[in-house]
Amino acid sequence: MKLIDLKGKNAQSLAADLHIKGREALLEKMVSMGLPSKKGEAYRYFDIEQFLTVDYQTLAYVPKPVKESGKIEIVDGVVVAAPKGLRIYYEHSDAIDMEHFDPLYYLGHLLSPSVIKIEIDGDASIELEHRFTQSDTLISYRIVLLNQANRHATLYENFIAENITNTLVLYGYDMHIAPDSTLRVVRTQSMQDKRYAMVASHKVNVAQRANALLKNFDLGGDLGLQLIKIDLAAYAHVEAGHLLYLNHDSKRGTVSQIVHKGEHSTSRQEAKNILDGNARGIFDALIKVEHTAKYTKAHQNSKAILLHENAYMVAKPQLEIYIDELEASHGSTTGQLDKKQLFYLRSRGISYIEARKILVIAFANTLIETVKDSRHQEMIKAAFEEAFYQGHTKDGL
Amino acid sequence: MNKILEIKDVHAKIGNKEILKGLNLDLEPGKVHAIMGPNGAGKSTLSKTIVGHYDVEMTSGDILYKGKSIKEMEPEERALEGIFLSFQHPVEIPGVNNTYFLRTAVNAKRKFEGKEELNAAEFLREMKKYLELLGMKSDMISRSLNEGFSGGEKKRNEILQMMMLEPDVIILDEIDSGLDIDALRAVSEGINKMKDGKRSFLVITHYSRILDYIKPDYIHVLKEGRIIKTAGPELVSQLEEHGYDSIEEIQ
Repeated sequence: MKLIDLKGKNAQSLAADLHIKGREALLEKMVSMGLPSKKGEAYRYFDIEQFLTVDYQTLAYVPKPVKESGKIEIVDGVVVAAPKGLRIYYEHSDAIDMEHFDPLYYLGHLLSPSVIKIEIDGDASIELEHRFTQSDTLISYRIVLLNQANRHATLYENFIAENITNTLVLYGYDMHIAPDSTLRVVRTQSMQDKRYAMVASHKVNVAQRANALLKNFDLGGDLGLQLIKIDLAAYAHVEAGHLLYLNHDSKRGTVSQIVHKGEHSTSRQEAKNILDGNARGIFDALIKVEHTAKYTKAHQNSKAILLHENAYMVAKPQLEIYIDELEASHGSTTGQLDKKQLFYLRSRGISYIEARKILVIAFANTLIETVKDSRHQEMIKAAFEEAFYQGHTKDGL
Repeated sequence: MNKILEIKDVHAKIGNKEILKGLNLDLEPGKVHAIMGPNGAGKSTLSKTIVGHYDVEMTSGDILYKGKSIKEMEPEERALEGIFLSFQHPVEIPGVNNTYFLRTAVNAKRKFEGKEELNAAEFLREMKKYLELLGMKSDMISRSLNEGFSGGEKKRNEILQMMMLEPDVIILDEIDSGLDIDALRAVSEGINKMKDGKRSFLVITHYSRILDYIKPDYIHVLKEGRIIKTAGPELVSQLEEHGYDSIEEIQ
């Protein structure tokens, strides 16, 4: 299957090509948005077009018996294991946001008529592992995640690729965070060796007085983009942290829209980016405050450290505000390691190379240490250091 | 005179401005040398020049440490050789754990000296010896380096580093600034503990207060980039009475 073959098709042809019955509104939406391109806002900095012309094999999504495990395991888009008692099942999805900015959000839904629905009970802490085993394949699946009102749950997510090449993964969440609850999602993705590329397209609905704590740790190389739209109801809060460590010639990052819809909603978005080699990092983030969202508080910040002269950061924090009664700020800095800090370490006998490593890891740690669970915090630190040392030997940068 | 550090006709500039203009100074082992001088005299530039700070370009002259020139050495090489600067304004480094940082520094020094590196438990045992003496709260060692520390806590942390690294030449740049009387006493006690008859101290200060706690052997007056007078501790009261402007007349 070549995604480019879907270009210019009307809804009827698209339905025929994708073997879809019904879902007219979704098809019309996809047709009206068209395939993503460099000319669109969402993919301006990512070179999505290179994936559209590849002839991928596709997979038949046949549900498998789910074995009992300590974590959810999704292999090539199919659930193969889950903790005992967890409600996880396939379901036709109709809770689709018709105002998402990403065309691949709609394509993902069209390619995945059945979604994986996960209902998190109580104050559970759940691990989810995505595994990819097929080369030259388009792997497409979507997850609907729900939690319970008044409860505080956590999802830890990571990704493993077997020794594959040239695969494209389109996946994403529709999260529905219940009133008065908290959902923490800690996502760690280390990529290397061009095994697969990923476009993840998410939608997060944060209900009244609910909290969404989203931590993303994008590490290593390769190509990947996360597109996130977050809607905040009254008194809802989102705290989004993005750590990007890229090396070699990778291009990865986040395109996000946080939409304040309800009064007294609050958002805090912080991106920390460390770029080495010829890497390009993307933080293209819009906070939109609608006229219904009086007394909003919205803060957004991006900091980038460039470790190599060829590294490049696209940082575009933006505010779009339709009311006067609010508190908002945004900012972005891109630079090198702090000279004063570097000198301080060296003045204590620590070599230049070691001092640089300490400062890079410290910069990352300020975000990693916001993950309160110590075991996961250590795992993320280890993943970061592994990615970091892949580009550098332990004795030299 | 036996000398541990010899500063020979040093000219140094920051940007295009020459700050040190032919400065000469010798430090004796086991002695406390105090540098006093008005604002803008070049006191902090002198300390930066000795430790190889990136702000300073040394345009001529030489600095010998134990008879060996250090002017081409990197800052970390000077530190490993045994030169320590306690900063006037220690920088905050969020994300770098204070204990981890200090253990890295101590082990770098031990490696340089051909000693076994300390493991975490050995290091903590060593460090605890000094924490109580300096009146440091135990949480300070588990926090990020200097982050959110008060002025007094930062200075105590500098002295902790000094004690752990056991340098031979110790430069204290305005160590008394921002310290209340208790902190000043604790910091001074730490410094006095380090006196072993071999180490040399260079105390850079505006005020004589610190010299009530760390008794100097020599007072050097630095003005307009040069040492214009060297005398014994009695010079302090003279300076207090007549100010720096009187020094040229005294000369």
